Amino acid sequence: MEEDNKNKHIHLTRRSFFSTMGMGAATVVASNNLAAWASEENKVMDPTEPTKITLKINGQTHRILVEPRWSLLFVLREHLGLSAAKTGCERGECGACTVLIDNVPRYACMTLAVEAQGTEIVTLEGLMKGEELGHVQQAFLEQDAFQCGYCTPGQIMAADGLLRSNPKPTDGEIRKGMSGNLCRCGAYHNIFQAVNRAVELKGGG
Amino acid sequence: MLPNFTYVCASSEKEAIKHLASDGARIHAGGTDLLGCLRDHVFTARKIVSISKLDSLHGIRKTAEGGLRVGALATITEVARNPIIRDRYHVLAQAASEVASPQLRNQGTIGGNICQKPRCWYYRGEFHCLRKGGDQCFAAGGENQFHCIFGGDMCYIVHPSDTSPALLSLGASVQISGKRGSRTVLMEHFHIPPGQDVQKETILEPDEIVTAILLPPASPAMKSSYRKVRARQSWDFALAGTALAIQFSGATVEKARVVFSGVAPVPWRSKEVEKTITGKRLDANLAAKAAEAAVKGAEAMEKNAYKIPLLRGIVEEELIAIAKL
Amino acid sequence: MKQDEKGVYYAKDIFVTETPEPGKDPKPWGKTAVIGKSQSRIDAYERVSGTAVYPSDLSLPNMLYGAILRCPHPHAIIKKVDTSRANKMPGVLAIISAATSEADIYWSYSKDVKTKLFDPHCRFEGETIAAVAAQTPYQASDALRSIQVDYQILPYIVDEQNALESGATKVHEGGNLVKPEETYFRGDIEKGFAQADVVLEESYRTECQVHTPMEPHGCVAYWDGDLLVIHESTQGVYSVQSNVAQTLGLPLSKVRVIGHYMGGGFGSKLVAGKYTVITALLAKRTGRPVKLFLTREETYLCTGNRPPANMTLKAGVKKDGTLTALDFSVTGTGGAYPAGGTALVDWLIKDLYTCPNVSTKATDVYINTGPARPFRAPGHPQGAWALEQMMDALAEAVGIDPVQLRLKNIPSYSQAREGNPPYTTTGLKDCLEQGAQAFRWNERKKEIEGFNSSKHLRRGVGMASCLWIAGGGGPPSTIILKLFSDGSVNLNMGASDIGTGTKTVMAMVVAEELNVRTEMIQIEHADTGTTQYATPSGGSKTVPTETPAVRSAAINIKQQLLQMAADDLKTQVSTLHFNGDEIVAKNDNSIKIKISEISGLKKRGVVVGIGYRGPNPEGKVVNPFAAQFCEVEVNTKTGEVRIIDFLGANDSGRVMDRLTYDNQVYGGITMGIGFAMTEVRILDSNDTGKMLNRNWHDYKLPTALDMPPHMESLPIDLPDTEANITGAKGLGEPVTIPTAAAIANAVYHATGVRIRKTPLNPTQLSMIFSEHLKEK
Repeated sequence: MEEDNKNKHIHLTRRSFFSTMGMGAATVVASNNLAAWASEENKVMDPTEPTKITLKINGQTHRILVEPRWSLLFVLREHLGLSAAKTGCERGECGACTVLIDNVPRYACMTLAVEAQGTEIVTLEGLMKGEELGHVQQAFLEQDAFQCGYCTPGQIMAADGLLRSNPKPTDGEIRKGMSGNLCRCGAYHNIFQAVNRAVELKGGG
Repeated sequence: MLPNFTYVCASSEKEAIKHLASDGARIHAGGTDLLGCLRDHVFTARKIVSISKLDSLHGIRKTAEGGLRVGALATITEVARNPIIRDRYHVLAQAASEVASPQLRNQGTIGGNICQKPRCWYYRGEFHCLRKGGDQCFAAGGENQFHCIFGGDMCYIVHPSDTSPALLSLGASVQISGKRGSRTVLMEHFHIPPGQDVQKETILEPDEIVTAILLPPASPAMKSSYRKVRARQSWDFALAGTALAIQFSGATVEKARVVFSGVAPVPWRSKEVEKTITGKRLDANLAAKAAEAAVKGAEAMEKNAYKIPLLRGIVEEELIAIAKL
Repeated sequence: MKQDEKGVYYAKDIFVTETPEPGKDPKPWGKTAVIGKSQSRIDAYERVSGTAVYPSDLSLPNMLYGAILRCPHPHAIIKKVDTSRANKMPGVLAIISAATSEADIYWSYSKDVKTKLFDPHCRFEGETIAAVAAQTPYQASDALRSIQVDYQILPYIVDEQNALESGATKVHEGGNLVKPEETYFRGDIEKGFAQADVVLEESYRTECQVHTPMEPHGCVAYWDGDLLVIHESTQGVYSVQSNVAQTLGLPLSKVRVIGHYMGGGFGSKLVAGKYTVITALLAKRTGRPVKLFLTREETYLCTGNRPPANMTLKAGVKKDGTLTALDFSVTGTGGAYPAGGTALVDWLIKDLYTCPNVSTKATDVYINTGPARPFRAPGHPQGAWALEQMMDALAEAVGIDPVQLRLKNIPSYSQAREGNPPYTTTGLKDCLEQGAQAFRWNERKKEIEGFNSSKHLRRGVGMASCLWIAGGGGPPSTIILKLFSDGSVNLNMGASDIGTGTKTVMAMVVAEELNVRTEMIQIEHADTGTTQYATPSGGSKTVPTETPAVRSAAINIKQQLLQMAADDLKTQVSTLHFNGDEIVAKNDNSIKIKISEISGLKKRGVVVGIGYRGPNPEGKVVNPFAAQFCEVEVNTKTGEVRIIDFLGANDSGRVMDRLTYDNQVYGGITMGIGFAMTEVRILDSNDTGKMLNRNWHDYKLPTALDMPPHMESLPIDLPDTEANITGAKGLGEPVTIPTAAAIANAVYHATGVRIRKTPLNPTQLSMIFSEHLKEK
């Protein structure tokens, strides 16, 4: 019975295949014609020629040469030595690379460096006041809100971003706000407590 | 790692459209879906045309007709938090707040969300499947636990968007600009089922961009909700879900739009459920009947039969819940 | 902070433990000043400020980036690798493969199985074909994609349940059986079943779980003359050193492995990988440092997993709850090479509960998937899934509460070991009793039965317990402590801190013994060039292995200081003791000397204390025990399960740092939730055999929103004075063993439906509930 079901679907696949391909081909032809119509007036970044861009990171302006495909994460870590943001998946699925872009947590691995121009970028390094920890960092320290610590910079940035838009989140809002950051060690319980503690520290400081 | 491409940041819609008309060009709005596809080599992009800095595509504002215009570049977070959407188009705010993860909601746009590429693991993986121009749908005889129970035809993807079913339930339309000018299309006609074209998900031509979503005026008598069941509670797509937009007169359903997520290659409007409940008093009995109607015509594949009882359960639960709102 | 707390030493009123005479064992700690308290980590600042440098953070001058080309098929022969196009790609500095001189290097998959590093016969998807070093990782990735490979695609097998069928594709020439079936018997199994009032039999399955630590596997390697230096993300620098030295034929002294910080391992980073050796080779070939970290997708294919387990368990019990017989079998797989595919899956069946008649059988087969690696408590969560659900079913069948049934069957000795040696301590009874009390087990069971009447949202409570086969630690371990002239201390240890708080616990031991504030202790660790030999951090052995050696080293320092002080004060050592930052005569407070004033210390500048881990008690077994309790809410219409509450009660001997202890408990439960509810490896059944969910979206780890709103850790603080001189047992593994079974038992309590397969999510449950709960 199951086998029949399986075969039926496969069969459908093969039979309907040829009619579809015709349409696909037509689309390709159309887009070639459109290509002739387009004329490129503006500066187009070439993949083989590094282009100079300006990024504002932790209040400092950096002028750097990049390829268009370089991620913000790659530029931060491998070109600017800002290695707090971590590489976990490079697919926008774990949050280890979380930074703030215009005060909002985002995945640096899924952000092209060129796209980050004109924004204010804050990394974990930017939460430090000289050698002193920021409130969220202090809260993570006190609550032991990490184990191996690799996801921690991203967790802290997500928490900091959450508190920037919602200074007194409920427990539910904390969970939801922190739900874009995986922690394989499973320190979530302490992370939630750290966010609550950070609210206190911010209030007191 | 991303492959190479040229990049241009458009400074006007016109310029963006011009660049998009060139061969192998792809739109970059929030970039979350595009970059993922490029990284996985699902397709290539010779040129990336960024529209992210186009002011005309940003913002959420009321229309003269009393509806709402949501700029295509409004982020999912902006949609989820917008007070008018939360108040009058609750289903959309709810659906938006359930999308992916906070970071992706901060980056992904509503325009991008409705134009998402399928999440089928064969399509995203190292498989030259039908949708990518190959000659086989691997899901048909393979690991189809996350695939469709409605509308499959050669290809058995489900549409990954949460906001699309919500928009469809609200009767929204999509504003599109292209080389040949602008057009406005009902959400219902925006997505393309595989039976019509197995390689396209939307009606967009290569040179076209979504500029805005238009929401019709919301009736004060309308209640709406979105429910999404998934295998884990964040960063996950719907196993099945339902968007409800129902106008009540007392306990009686006057008008209803019911759209499913996670069960079909396009947001799946269930006229069966709508018919079952319209003009009737929505109580537990009717909800149970509607739940049966919801799965009428559903066709399970080898590994996704659970979606039938699941969808039935969701529909029943949500109809009872919305009646009590 | 009080003025006197700012110095090197703690306040003077803190008791300093007595110093034993040289050669004698110290007494167990009595009342402690530091140990057992909540101490935030000594490296927390580095970890939260971003200054902690993980191996993948490292950037060295002139560094290149490496990447590996992997076989996309589960079984194939490489006919030809053409790198001519890739060689010409921009930024490419080196490509190595079976066609280059590196072809002659062999890799050991196990003690007996060696293949070439770039072997033409690829037995799993993700096997290594070639590697590139380029100026940017993007260029390295481009180059990989332009390498042309001719594959002869072979038939494959990826379902371990069919691997022994006749006609099944052979992974190795000798067939798919890794070794003869492993069997174990005690007593008379048939007689046991005959004595039982109730006999139940069930099949169970747990899915393959992948480690996926947050930091991918990999290293930065460079050559300094003939010295190979590797910064590896690892749980054990010395094991990486020996793997690499052996593979490359180098003396151990010429391989320096450093691994200070590391982003998680869970057993998958106990050894070097092919990637480690490849990085070293690329560095050699280019004469430049090379950084090579796997992509997330690669980590799913070739860095190990917890194998799937297919289990059957038949159990007999008397009406009074006495277990009479357990008959267990398991089929599993370590993938394409010998990797312990069924290792320890039967251990709990053999050893956790008193049962005179036990039979187990384990069948380990080859399939065409990446080799397994040990995964946090190997075998145990799988076995617990079967045994602990069976205990629940037996309890119901004979009408005894599940906690009581377990209490009735607690052994005082290890039944599975030769000679039935006793456990030094077993806190299982305390875990069960105190855990049940703290959880309000009896009361909640009753409350819930009221709540559930005719609702489709049903509550349930469940529990499960365990032991962990190891967790006692043992030699070898050497610790060197240096006490500087100002009283501050340097601790030198080879062990890695894999996130459990190892460094912090060691500092606390030093603080306890020497009365030195933990902030005054600097730790050098996990570097084969500069720190002492240590076995990898795994098996929940680091605290019970290293802390006794640290304590010994500290005592060694104290003994030396007392002797020096006795020389200065012209008295006998036996008349002196430590008091704050002074050494004082026991019976005359006026005879004293400040530690920093001791002439021997001032003259030498440093006192070096060496500590060794003493042997474990002979004829006894040191194991940790645990019990977990949870409450769930089940939506019977959709199959959604929401965990509401979890409690973990652990006997891991003495509680060292309460803060990191609780963190382990929560973390173990969290990982167990993933194992129970979200994690499963999907291999294509559709004529490719490829792994389909090789990323963190398709392979689902639990997120913040999957956590119960309430979690509690209940330590059973039971110092094991026989085990070692700190009384600590291992913790990192028992915390995750019973979790999945406890959840399944709670789902059963809620619904009356027994779920025998992981994962417990709507893809399985909505179907099962729709079939089983129709009438309700």
